[in-house]
Amino acid sequence: MLFTLLKKIIKTSAGKTKFIMAFVGLSVALLLILLAIQIQANYNQLLHGKSNTDSTANFLVINKVVNNNTVNATILSDEVLTKLKKQPFIDAVGNISGGRFKASIESLISSFPFYTDIAFESVQNDFIDVNSKDWNWNEESNFIPMIIPNMFLDIYNFQFSISQGYPQITPDALKMMNFKVNLYNTNGQVQSYIGRIVGFSDRISSVLVPQSFMNWANEKFGNKKTTNPGRVVIRTKDPGNPALVQFLKDNGLTTDADKTRFSKYRQIVNVITNVSWVTGAVMLLFALLVFTLFIQLTIASCKNEIQLLITLGASPKQLQSFLMKQFFPPNIFIVLIALILIAVVQFALFALLKAQNIFVSKFISYYTIIAAVIVLLLLWWVNKATIKKYIKGKE
Amino acid sequence: MQIILNNIVPIPLKEKLLSKKSDVWNAVQHFSSKDWVKIKAPSGTGKTTLIHILYKIRFDFDGEMLWNDFLSNNTNENIIAETRQQKLSIIFQDLRLFPNLTARENIELKRVLPKPYYDASTIDLMAEKLGVTHILHQRTGLCSYGEQQRIAIIRALIQPFELLLMDEPFSHLDKENITIAATLIAEECAKRNAGFVLTDLDDDNHFNYSKQLSL
Repeated sequence: MLFTLLKKIIKTSAGKTKFIMAFVGLSVALLLILLAIQIQANYNQLLHGKSNTDSTANFLVINKVVNNNTVNATILSDEVLTKLKKQPFIDAVGNISGGRFKASIESLISSFPFYTDIAFESVQNDFIDVNSKDWNWNEESNFIPMIIPNMFLDIYNFQFSISQGYPQITPDALKMMNFKVNLYNTNGQVQSYIGRIVGFSDRISSVLVPQSFMNWANEKFGNKKTTNPGRVVIRTKDPGNPALVQFLKDNGLTTDADKTRFSKYRQIVNVITNVSWVTGAVMLLFALLVFTLFIQLTIASCKNEIQLLITLGASPKQLQSFLMKQFFPPNIFIVLIALILIAVVQFALFALLKAQNIFVSKFISYYTIIAAVIVLLLLWWVNKATIKKYIKGKE
Repeated sequence: MQIILNNIVPIPLKEKLLSKKSDVWNAVQHFSSKDWVKIKAPSGTGKTTLIHILYKIRFDFDGEMLWNDFLSNNTNENIIAETRQQKLSIIFQDLRLFPNLTARENIELKRVLPKPYYDASTIDLMAEKLGVTHILHQRTGLCSYGEQQRIAIIRALIQPFELLLMDEPFSHLDKENITIAATLIAEECAKRNAGFVLTDLDDDNHFNYSKQLSL
């Protein structure tokens, strides 16, 4: 009853245009801010979500850029290696150790004759994308297991076999073949072993052998000096991270550009979300200002009425809670509308991207909801502070 | 409720008032719930000023005024509002109604501002006694002064109080209506064990005054 009477006395209709302006501004500002947060949330989901992860994308082989300055000096120093391990966006670093001995490989069947010099590399098992029960070696083993890049087989099947008139070969057939692996010691003496291909890798473009074999062979055939690796494999949650790309660039390192190309798009999205943020924040600021002015105007235009109410014994608390009830509910309404709009857009986006096998959440992110609540609290506070200030001034 | 005056003199009237003897100005005086006080004074001697000082609308005076033990320079708005809602009611000389509200709404406002003392039907009872039932639905801006004054009286009586301040409350009423209004006021004060302070220009027998003072 009291509020009905107060509503008759304190007319909030003063300056209706300003009121509408303030609310439109506030709505757009809120929409921009919440949208920026939702875009960021979607983007993060696309980058880190399980359904979108590409298994090879998280491993990168890193080496120095080979140019006139670094030629023959591409060994990674201890300093660079420790630096790599320290970066927050790099989860693990695996050294690729090379063989310090000469080797060659030749086929054992006449229908598929070939001979080539070869160099081996090895890396810790965690960094290999091939699961094979044959991937181990000790001195009693019957053969040396090898993993070759998928690319090698493609080169053979689609270029070499056609130009040389050899038959094409399937990965399974290749796995069943035995090869003769010749290892040469520093004096040029040769010792031959049986080798077999046990898998094909998309990740590392080298002929890989088990670490145990590499250690043994380097000991037996290689020169004695040990060196740092020239290449390392890193595991990262996010190969498209612009910070990673920048770090590699700053340290004269390079990697498969195809895997980091995402970082360019990422930077663009970052700029867009940042612009959206800033625009939203500036608009929010102006909307709050207009809103404050609107409250001030309403109170000023009812100055005499408010004064008489206070004279009659209305407590500032009663007036404040009445004015809060007049001004604040539209804010809740705006926030809800903004959230509903974003939810609709999000659902549409989900449906649209699903058709392209890109998965974003059906629902809006809880970060967006938290942000909405925070903005609402801010609005509540601004309302309350303004009303309190101007009611007090009326006594 | 008790109001204690300790040598107060309104600053704008200082010179004029100090030259005369007064029971209130520059004297020690108190008004409590037990007192029915009449203050008689000619125009221009500060009747309204006194009422406004007692009601804490004006603060431009020397000396000290206490609401119970609540000092005059204390302007805590919550305590002032609570006192005006619960302990101290007032009939202004200039009435001070909201012209855009109906008579009933003006009274209702004062009824619901505190925790209601009477229910809404009391408005009709009092209006009937004072003969203003027919204008309850009318905007007070359209009412005559006599009607407005009776509305202001009902408004003051609808709330709880321990002390009632009245500034020439019958200035726009005829003799008959004054008697009716005074009877109602006396009843309401007696019912609450409340006191009052009434200012007027002339002597009268409207009430059983316990104290008659001159300014």
